[in-house]
Amino acid sequence: MLSSAQAPRLLRSPAAATTTAAALTIKCLHTSPILTPAATSPSPSQILTTRKSLLSRQTSAVDLAKSFLQRLRRHEPQLSSFLYVSPDDVVLKQAEELDTKIKNNEEVGPLAGVLVGVKDNICTYDMPSTAGSRILENYRPPFDATAVRKLRDSGAIVVGKTNLDEFGMGSTTEGSAYQVTANPWDLSRVPGGSSGGSAAAVSARQCMVALGSDTGGSVRQPASFCGVVGLKPTYGRVSRYGLVAYASSLDVIGCFGSSVADAGILLHSISGFDNFDATSSKQEVPDYASQFVALEYLESKPLKGLRVGVIHETLENGVDSEVISSVRGAVSHLEELGCTVSEVSLPSFSLGLPAYYILASSESSSNLSRYDGVRFGNQVFGEELNSLYGDSRAEGLGSEVKMRILMGTYALSAGYYDAYYKRAQQVRTIIRNSFKDALEKNDILISPAAPSVAYKIGEKKNDPLAMYAGDIMTVNVNLAGLPALVLPCGFDGGSAGLPVGFQMIGAAFDEEKLLKIGHIFEQTLPGYSFVPPLVADEWTG
Amino acid sequence: MGSRAALFLRANPPLFSFRHSANPKSFLLNKRFYTAKSSLEAPDVARLAQTARISLTPKQVEEFAPKIRQVVDWFGQLQAVDLQSIEPAIRADTEGDNLRDDVPGVFDNRDAIIAAVPNYEDTYIKVPKVLNKE
Repeated sequence: MLSSAQAPRLLRSPAAATTTAAALTIKCLHTSPILTPAATSPSPSQILTTRKSLLSRQTSAVDLAKSFLQRLRRHEPQLSSFLYVSPDDVVLKQAEELDTKIKNNEEVGPLAGVLVGVKDNICTYDMPSTAGSRILENYRPPFDATAVRKLRDSGAIVVGKTNLDEFGMGSTTEGSAYQVTANPWDLSRVPGGSSGGSAAAVSARQCMVALGSDTGGSVRQPASFCGVVGLKPTYGRVSRYGLVAYASSLDVIGCFGSSVADAGILLHSISGFDNFDATSSKQEVPDYASQFVALEYLESKPLKGLRVGVIHETLENGVDSEVISSVRGAVSHLEELGCTVSEVSLPSFSLGLPAYYILASSESSSNLSRYDGVRFGNQVFGEELNSLYGDSRAEGLGSEVKMRILMGTYALSAGYYDAYYKRAQQVRTIIRNSFKDALEKNDILISPAAPSVAYKIGEKKNDPLAMYAGDIMTVNVNLAGLPALVLPCGFDGGSAGLPVGFQMIGAAFDEEKLLKIGHIFEQTLPGYSFVPPLVADEWTG
Repeated sequence: MGSRAALFLRANPPLFSFRHSANPKSFLLNKRFYTAKSSLEAPDVARLAQTARISLTPKQVEEFAPKIRQVVDWFGQLQAVDLQSIEPAIRADTEGDNLRDDVPGVFDNRDAIIAAVPNYEDTYIKVPKVLNKE
């Protein structure tokens, strides 16, 4: 993972990084003003910092785990980002084993000592995996999801399971059957969803990185709401084995980090073909981190020649003016870095929303038929089999889930299939083709990650269409199966406000380009710190 | 791809009761309205619930019905889009299927699978009677 071409900045300990950042300002000023490091130091990679400090014996995995567990527990009563937290002794035992290996100069994996949160719809054999649903309360899967197994094989320690909208169906995390997660930037607001627990946990530094899942924006929108980096990989890049299925043609496991580097390193460790998922890809997985260029090695126009297309339809009326101005600011910053910017029109963009909801509901009505109370999950025993099915599902599933199953059942019923499901699939073809055309003329496409910043808890709870409409920026990307990277670029109402994220969309399997651009972007974006005030005092990373 | 006009949305204004200025209603509303009513029958929620094997009380059916009708009505806007001669896509199609050989394997944590069964006796999963009286 760590090649010799690696960015030296990333190999530095946090303490050293501050002093050198100041030195760099002087060094870089004469080349170009935009390469001045951010006033507040750019987000260093927690993964690489951890590795460096463990291998140089500056810190131990046990100390690191203790400090994260402490912060996790301190903020958990306010945030409720976790549905399950691994007991201290279980986490510390794994950390001790790593420390022993390091002490004996044995090889440790690229994620050694990295503390990871895992969305609770991703299976873990040693922890409950409820998908946020009562029907799977206390359910312990007999296996690890492939992504989780790969993380553990790389030396990562899973600290717990994060909260979500039941089965991933929602955009606020209020749809969890267990608890409502708060946004670390403003506890009265939602963290977004459905991977709201993972986004809040990474934002509040309760863990270093986290896994989420993204069916229609469930990694990217909460990343935007919580001011963290969210990466939705190409469909097929990461195995879905062990991911609780919602809409199988759209579902992907995605990554959260407090820096682009962390999201990229995390993606590298979970990607690749898996015999247990026929839709996983055999394409080679590049070492994304080796592409990162450190600030001091950047040329004055490091992104010269890169063609950026701003999606016209995503910056129209109906999008928060603060969101538009932050995204426009991000675009100007890319221009200063050398990109050639133009506007692209995707006239079919707004059709993606109904098409997505038809397809996702239809697939969910089929996928969720497995929750019948017979082989696993909670059961309401009845007089005859049909009442056992019906009552177990009535008791165990929440109202949004029931609603989507019923809508999907309708869209798939005889006589309606052509009108809904088939039409939605045809729209998917149109959307796929329009992205393909736009990405032939441009290297990446840009849009906001969401039309607004985080809104108040309860604001859209009883208005499904208002909540669905908030997914407009993200669903098309799932329909086309493309990778997209969301990173914070500004604030609503100045630096005291709520974070705004923008989305970069790339061609299939071109995560490398997105990460490389994102890494340069976040290092050179001036003036912002995306650590929420809640933890700013105690966080030195 | 159809003409640009044909791709615009149809939406019934009363379907959307946005309260917040930041809501992206223009994505749903600020387009040309199509008033063409769908000739499809409105969903019969009680029957759908039966098909989907979810026991709903009549009161719950009443609660779900308007919400589902609202969303299904909104789905209906795709009826106005010209999709002739466009092939449906079953998924993103980033790569073909990578099917493994069809050979049985042994799952090494069989006990955990059985431990998850809610009602288990000897080597059987226990369920109530399957056949109806008639």
